[in-house]
Amino acid sequence: MRYTSRLGVVFIVVFLCWSVQVGFCQQDRQRSLMNVENLTLDSTAQRVYYEQRLYRNPVIGLLELSQALSLPSATEFVPLYQGIPIAGYQPGNNWQTRLLSRSDRKALGKLIPAGPGHYKLDFRIQPEVIANFGFKMDPFQTKTSLLLQTQLYLSRGLVLNAGVLFPITNNYDNQPMNIRPAPIYLNQFLALDEQNFLSGSVGLFYSNQYGVNLQYRRANLTKPWSFGLEASLTGDYYFPTRGIYYESMNKAMVLADVAYRFRKHDITLKLSGGQYLYQDRGVRLDFIRQIYSVEVGIFAMKTSKASTAGFNFAIPIPPGRLAQSKRFRLRTTEEFRWEYSYNGGGNNVGLRYRLGNQLDALLRQYHSDYLRQQVP
Amino acid sequence: MNSAGWIRKLSVQWSLAIIGILVTQRGIAQVNISGKPGLLNIPTARVLSDGTFHIGYHYNPSHYDPRSANPNARNPDSLESVGSSNSIFYATLAILPRLEVNINIFRVNGYIPLNERGIGDRQFDIKYAVLTERERRPSVAMVVSAPFGIDNSLVTYAAMATKNFTLSENVTAEVTAGFGSPYYFDRSDNVGNDYNIFTNYKLHNKNDRPNPYLSGPFGGIALRFKQNLGGMLEWDSRHLNVGAYAKLFERWTLQAGVINFDQITFGTSYAVSLRKLPKRLSQQTAIPK
Repeated sequence: MRYTSRLGVVFIVVFLCWSVQVGFCQQDRQRSLMNVENLTLDSTAQRVYYEQRLYRNPVIGLLELSQALSLPSATEFVPLYQGIPIAGYQPGNNWQTRLLSRSDRKALGKLIPAGPGHYKLDFRIQPEVIANFGFKMDPFQTKTSLLLQTQLYLSRGLVLNAGVLFPITNNYDNQPMNIRPAPIYLNQFLALDEQNFLSGSVGLFYSNQYGVNLQYRRANLTKPWSFGLEASLTGDYYFPTRGIYYESMNKAMVLADVAYRFRKHDITLKLSGGQYLYQDRGVRLDFIRQIYSVEVGIFAMKTSKASTAGFNFAIPIPPGRLAQSKRFRLRTTEEFRWEYSYNGGGNNVGLRYRLGNQLDALLRQYHSDYLRQQVP
Repeated sequence: MNSAGWIRKLSVQWSLAIIGILVTQRGIAQVNISGKPGLLNIPTARVLSDGTFHIGYHYNPSHYDPRSANPNARNPDSLESVGSSNSIFYATLAILPRLEVNINIFRVNGYIPLNERGIGDRQFDIKYAVLTERERRPSVAMVVSAPFGIDNSLVTYAAMATKNFTLSENVTAEVTAGFGSPYYFDRSDNVGNDYNIFTNYKLHNKNDRPNPYLSGPFGGIALRFKQNLGGMLEWDSRHLNVGAYAKLFERWTLQAGVINFDQITFGTSYAVSLRKLPKRLSQQTAIPK
């Protein structure tokens, strides 16, 4: 008698655990589905189109969605960037990558919706650290700020980036500590066919430069070689306590690069060169390693002004998602990028400004080999 | 499912988990003064597993300031060249399976003459494992400091070999022997004209200073209990040092020691593996097969 009742208790406990677990699973799935935006299921073609802005590493978004939907294994996942499909990936034991041709893209334009109604009101907390080491009187000059940014998806590929900047410290320059607009610019991303991509930006960028930036990249996401062109015309601007100060658009930058990606350890060697800001002409060699959510690079460069070397990295800032509903989200940034140059700051060796949209960095995150090698 | 099958499955999972812990532990353990796998002052040829990243801090006591007697570092208010204690901050990444890069910032605690002020001496080091350890062969590695420095104090031009011996189920001994070159290149005569990183290299001899770091033969032994706790004894090419370390929560290492049976040194580091997906996704069930 005692034995059976004990067995009964064990059974009930096991059942309770099981049902709680199942409940959790369903909740997890719901939550995972909330992470993606503009989700379209094409069950006849067994394809899923989705956009995720939460993770720097596209694999996390892809696996999470795959877990949440639990579709047949032949399902192809097509991530979107600013509403534009990048490529089709079929995860699982037999990984496959399908590049999208011009006619594929035309057809998808009708299938996948675009515009602000299909995206969350997404707010991103982005730290910014500008530093100069070496000034003897004040060796640790830094300008740190916290940016609250948002992206407005206007139409297919066209996004308005805007935000507010909250200064935290500044012993770097004499800019007052006023709360001011964060970089505000429009970016149009375009994918022409399997391997030709374009990106154009207009507005107020990072690093106190405003103007126009155009980029073209030829990158087959299943092949090692890629090359790109970038041209821009910018000028200085900043926000004093009142109004805006700006100079004329007198800085031209023209850069070309060729990159080779080694499959084995997700290494990219990139040789770039041309004219940087302040008419500084030179060449730069980058060694870039992609390690799951992180990217680490080492570089050396020689310009008409001088030579320098340094390192850079791009990391997501934890914890990521802070609050989220169907229409709204608050999160920490998926990408914080920082570069240390041996004598960058004061001497302006091969100086450039930062732009959120950089085609080479974006496309190597969607390279077939990088994604495939992470899948367990 | 019958209970025997369930238990068998569980034990398979457990043994896999234990193997996993052992494998990850291999690369994550205590590090030396400049943040490289090592004992207190000396580096060892222990190889970090690919994608291991750690950051940390180390305190170096004043009698062993590698910068003392450096004419640049001398306090003009005092006639003697008195050493200061030093703080070293570092970050190390196994950027490729056998290749580790290390950045360390060496700061002098206390008075610094104006022309010497900075956030500290930034040093960039590369370590390459020529051989990995096998049953009958030690691991062999080389460390080279980038010659970009103006006044680097922990310059490491060294080659070393390391072999682990299993003494009992839980205790291993890690034995290291190596040699540090007294000669090195830097750009110290270049103060005020540091616009060209690839020019003006000059050969120097570390032995011109009273406390040269890693100049000559060095070696040491670490006794580790379950890889989580250990004692260390080392000859750092000048002094005999002893120390101990403990690793907490698999990631956080605390260590302390006595340099030359005279002054205390200590440090702490935190290590993670970057080659990881979130746990909820890394299971095999992530993809429907």
